[in-house]
Amino acid sequence: MIAFTSPYIWYTTRATGFVALILFTLVVALGTFVANRIGGTYVGRFELNELHRSISMVAIVFLMVHILTTLVDSYVPTGWFSAVIPLTSKYEPVHVALGAVAFDLILAVWVSSLLKARIANRSWRFIHWFSWLALASALAHSFLTGTDSRSSWGLALGVVCAAVALASALWRYFARPTRAAGRTALSPLAVAPLDGDARDESARRDPSR
Amino acid sequence: MAIKPKAGGFVLRVDPILCDGFGHCHELAPELVQIDEWGYPIIKGTPTPLSDADALESARFAVRGCPRQALRIERTPTSN
Repeated sequence: MIAFTSPYIWYTTRATGFVALILFTLVVALGTFVANRIGGTYVGRFELNELHRSISMVAIVFLMVHILTTLVDSYVPTGWFSAVIPLTSKYEPVHVALGAVAFDLILAVWVSSLLKARIANRSWRFIHWFSWLALASALAHSFLTGTDSRSSWGLALGVVCAAVALASALWRYFARPTRAAGRTALSPLAVAPLDGDARDESARRDPSR
Repeated sequence: MAIKPKAGGFVLRVDPILCDGFGHCHELAPELVQIDEWGYPIIKGTPTPLSDADALESARFAVRGCPRQALRIERTPTSN
């Protein structure tokens, strides 16, 4: 491996790690908003979904920078494969492995979402559940590997992210809306009476009418 | 050569088995999708002309925005 090290690379690794953790926590929280049918009056449900999708893209960019700067910096011997294959790092094998597991799961969720239109929705949903494991693994990785994560503000940040993640998980589990949860009233057309076309359609679907 | 106006129309179709009533389609394409009192979509059944670019764009947003991939755009030979 090319010997290349600079404190600035290490600073970048630390900073992007924190940013990625915050963003992925936000993505999971927003995903819970969408799944629990939040929105429809002051903010659109589709807007929360769009935020969920676009912030996840930003989070992935920060994660890529975090991983690249770790691999490029020869000061800590992690090895090129340690980002994807757990336990291959010579430096803190278990702690880095937690990050590798999180990255692999995030890759699975990302690729399945890119292929969303081409794969069965059921498969996409199954893979999307991995994001909870990914966030848990990332939180553990952050706490155990992070240079700043046991100091005052770093610890506070980790605790806030963990609390948001846990609250989202509990909310997701106990709310469990598997079917529709009422109408969304964001559009001014939402309260308008059904027009002729809509009535035609419902009549077409229900042969008894 | 003049560009011919697009002939025919389209209808937005929902797969009722996949639909879980998220309501995103109504927010994204209110001119094509109404919502019943339980939150499920009631879609405009008559074809919309393909020349109606705004409606077609809304329909595409709705297809892309559906969390259950339950929508598709079906082309019809006539527009009404």
